Amino acid sequence: CYIVLMYKVIFCTLLSEKVTQMMEWASKRSVIRMNGDKFRRFVKAPPRNYSMVIMFTALQPQRQCGVCRQADEEFQVLANSWRYSSAFTNKVFFASVDFDEGSDVFQMLNMNSAPTFLHFPSKGKPRRSDTYELQVRGFAAEQLARWVADRTDVQIRVIRPPNYAGPLLLGFLLAVIGGLAYLRRHNLEFLFNKNVWAFSALCFVLIMTSGQMWNHIRGPPYAHKNPSTGQVSYIHGSSQAQFVAETHIVLLFNAAVTMGMVLLCEAATSDMDIGKRKIMCVAGIGLVMLFFSWLLSIFRAKYHGYPYSFLMS
Amino acid sequence: MAEHHPVSDSKHKSSLNSGASYSGNGRSSTAVAERGSNAGAGGGGLSGGLSQPAGWQSLLSFTILFLAWLAGFSSRLFAVIRFESIIHEFDPWFNYRSTHHLTTNGFYEFLNWFDERAWYPLGRIVGGTVYPGLMVTAGLIHYVLNLLHITVHIRDVCVFLAPVFSGLTSISTFLLTKELWNQGAGLLAACFIAIVPGYISRSVAGSFDNEGIAIFALQFTYYLWVKSVKTGSVFWTIGCCLSYFYMVSAWGGYVFIINLIPLHVFVLLLMQRFSRRVYIAYSTFYIIGLVLSMQIPFVGFQPIRTSEHMAAAGVFVLLQVYAFLQYLKDRLTRQEFQTLFFLGVSVAAGVVFLSVIYLTYTGCYAKIHIPIIASVSEHQPTTWVSFFFDLHILVCTFPAGLWFCIKNINDERVFVALYAISAVYFAGVMVRLMLTLTPVVCMLSAVAFSSVFEHYLGDDMKRQSPPAEDSSDEDDRKNAGNLYDKAGKVRKHVSEQEKAEEGLGPNIKSIVTMLMLMLLMMFAVHCTWVTSNAYSSPSVVLASYNHDGSRNILDDFREAYYWLRQNTDEHARVMSWWDYGYQIAGMANRTTLVDNNTWNNSHIALVGKAMSSNETAAYEIMRSLDVDYVLIIFGGVIGYSGDDINKFLWMVRIAEGEHPRDIRESDYFTPQGEFRVDKAGSPTLLNCLMYKMSYYRFGEMQLDFRTPPGFDRTRNAEIGNKDIKLKHLEEAFTSEHWLVRIYKVKKLENRDRVEHKLRSTDATKQKYTTKKVSWDFKHWTV
Repeated sequence: CYIVLMYKVIFCTLLSEKVTQMMEWASKRSVIRMNGDKFRRFVKAPPRNYSMVIMFTALQPQRQCGVCRQADEEFQVLANSWRYSSAFTNKVFFASVDFDEGSDVFQMLNMNSAPTFLHFPSKGKPRRSDTYELQVRGFAAEQLARWVADRTDVQIRVIRPPNYAGPLLLGFLLAVIGGLAYLRRHNLEFLFNKNVWAFSALCFVLIMTSGQMWNHIRGPPYAHKNPSTGQVSYIHGSSQAQFVAETHIVLLFNAAVTMGMVLLCEAATSDMDIGKRKIMCVAGIGLVMLFFSWLLSIFRAKYHGYPYSFLMS
Repeated sequence: MAEHHPVSDSKHKSSLNSGASYSGNGRSSTAVAERGSNAGAGGGGLSGGLSQPAGWQSLLSFTILFLAWLAGFSSRLFAVIRFESIIHEFDPWFNYRSTHHLTTNGFYEFLNWFDERAWYPLGRIVGGTVYPGLMVTAGLIHYVLNLLHITVHIRDVCVFLAPVFSGLTSISTFLLTKELWNQGAGLLAACFIAIVPGYISRSVAGSFDNEGIAIFALQFTYYLWVKSVKTGSVFWTIGCCLSYFYMVSAWGGYVFIINLIPLHVFVLLLMQRFSRRVYIAYSTFYIIGLVLSMQIPFVGFQPIRTSEHMAAAGVFVLLQVYAFLQYLKDRLTRQEFQTLFFLGVSVAAGVVFLSVIYLTYTGCYAKIHIPIIASVSEHQPTTWVSFFFDLHILVCTFPAGLWFCIKNINDERVFVALYAISAVYFAGVMVRLMLTLTPVVCMLSAVAFSSVFEHYLGDDMKRQSPPAEDSSDEDDRKNAGNLYDKAGKVRKHVSEQEKAEEGLGPNIKSIVTMLMLMLLMMFAVHCTWVTSNAYSSPSVVLASYNHDGSRNILDDFREAYYWLRQNTDEHARVMSWWDYGYQIAGMANRTTLVDNNTWNNSHIALVGKAMSSNETAAYEIMRSLDVDYVLIIFGGVIGYSGDDINKFLWMVRIAEGEHPRDIRESDYFTPQGEFRVDKAGSPTLLNCLMYKMSYYRFGEMQLDFRTPPGFDRTRNAEIGNKDIKLKHLEEAFTSEHWLVRIYKVKKLENRDRVEHKLRSTDATKQKYTTKKVSWDFKHWTV
């Protein structure tokens, strides 16, 4: 009886000691770094009433794990959202084990890939769903938060630190422009230069019509390299998708056709030498025809079943 | 391509000379319009220097506009000719149903309409949640026609409304472009917009949707706005307000107008182009437009509450302040102080304006990530292929038109430049908004082409002595579009006076003209091809083609809806995915749980949850929602890819958004992260209600000798669960090609089944049971 009581007391003190220790660490950094010893003591050893969400990773530069770094950033976002939320308790802790600090842990868990997210529930053994399906769900902090909520009943609202780079850059740009304008305040003619305005409007329009917004939202690869033959294809085969390189090509082609049209008009209206005007005119119509038919042929290659072509098929 | 042009050329010539007696073949008619307009562009440019009787010019413009209308109308009729006069797709069915309600019960009854057949058990207040412009327009036309004893069915009015309005759109585009550039460009723009696929996609016959009439209202409002900025007269501004009111009543896209016009005024202020005309136009427009727009029940007080409308209010205040300062400037002497004050005010206003825009668009961006919005294919960003597909040559040439406009800037060209830039941004973000980009692209391309033609069709003739020019020009107009005569003539003129002028030379000119015309011809051909192949399918009736070119009509949808109409109780409740809600209400006249209105996400999620749970759980949900029938679309037999299994992941995602405890998307994937319906598929998928209903008895069916029984043609896989038993549902109807399957939900049994299993004598075990799976989970350790 005494022994049992003794055991209980030890158990309790051990548990509270561990929790205090964990809280102390968590107050220092939201993701607790663990090595083999710590892992065995605080995660594997039995008296535990808190859940652990652990990221197994390899962040050392020599490991060359680019995914690990991205995943680590997302994990930090998640852990920080939890650490600084008003609902923060000692129910869940976030920790990470680096391969170079705790390779024995990797061996113990029979793990051979990083990054991996595991959840160690406060009671019982980890089950299959305690392994995060990285391939399926990706490592966005929101997805991780849903998984954590699912496993531990702790709802974490992911708060991303606002990205100040964009507004700062914009502010800087505005300041530079304002400064320049102030320096040249006696000569603001350049603001009334129609060519500048027309050129920037055209740039914007060309960027949009060549599908850069799609690239921005979907993030396609620059080009595709066939792994077996090593051939690089710049044009995506389907009409539903595109590569970045392809949109650049299309942008150039559109610009060339536009320039051709402008040249045609310039040739007819300007009061230059007749020879130059003729050259301009021929160049203009050449640009329009050549690049339009080229564009049409690219379109035809992508849009299967399209019957028409011009100059080149 | 290039070889057969001369042949078709002569054909067009003859058809144009025969004037009114031309037949309505879509392809040739569009080419005719093109041709006519080209000549018009040349003529418009010429007429400036001539003392030409105005009669010719107006006759020519009138003819070209008429032909453009006719060409636009007839190229939208593919679906009617191939199938029949039928309402297309999904939303038009609701619009048709409401129009029908309007014509049978009257306008006030329509405004008060509470539709108890939608969103069971919630219902929907239709009168207060629709833009009534479309229904009222169709109802009015129907009323007038009936008054004249032309008795047409309201369905025919609805089917042909959009093609008729496309003609009005091309006329208002003509007017707007004429204000911006010149008449020739206007005619070209009218022809472009009549046949451009980006607009046809929303206005084929049978597509009875808001956009069909809204683009007309949009263009007309812009025309009147430009007119009122040019003249500064209250008359034009009031017209602009009325047109704006029509636009508000027709489409939610009016927000585009109420942001673009203030933006125009703001930029005019920045460019120091403030004038009394702008002040009068905008002040009148803002006040009257605001009051009028608030008359639409669905809009209500939004114009003074929501952030989208705040820019307009901000600019209004700014304009008053600016005008007041201008007034003070005449009275006061302290110039320095004033300019400083003005700068401060304008900067503050600009900051407010920009921040409002920023807030609005970040809000829009966030909305894209909600599953129900992301699940709609129209809300995707746009690839360059769709730009090219919808606009063809116009997408490459309209930047040139923009260049010319900015180079020769004036008040109204500021407007068109802003229109182009903002519309191209929105079209890039969302493929649906290509529709608002199309008109401006047509106008600017017309400007580009017209400037080229102006210089290359008639410049040499200008340098001749006036009388000769006059006659030649008249001669030219008599056979407008007669390209060959023209080219020959130009050659002749120049050979007469070779050395005198420093023109570009006839050869170059005629080559340029020929090539440009060829481009336009290719555009016309492309438009017709796209319209015929991509945008003329009603999607209610499907067609397939055999090897010999003969056609099979698959009329499964209507067959099934008709079955529902005839064989079920009048108050039966049909559960289906929201895509089919409007069609069920319109064609089968039965109560639906969710429809394309999608105003209540949680209700949709509940249906999604029922579809993605196992049969027992789904039965509870269906009992609680009083469901009598379940309708699903299954394309595995004929290889139809838009069926419910392909949409299934969206159902799961939407359900997961509301019920994360019960539905998890990852459960429906294989461990490798694939979505498969065959044996390797996830057991949760193979036992969910949607899977069971889709593939019920499909395992017994062998479609082909080369494939095993139960081979799904859409997903090219042999299904994984062939022995499907339904406990709470029974098959009620399956259409001819299995495209639509309807199940009846059984009532509760008289005697409850015993929960635990009695001694089992059944030797055959079902392969996929949840029990086995959970056992698997339990014994799995790290």
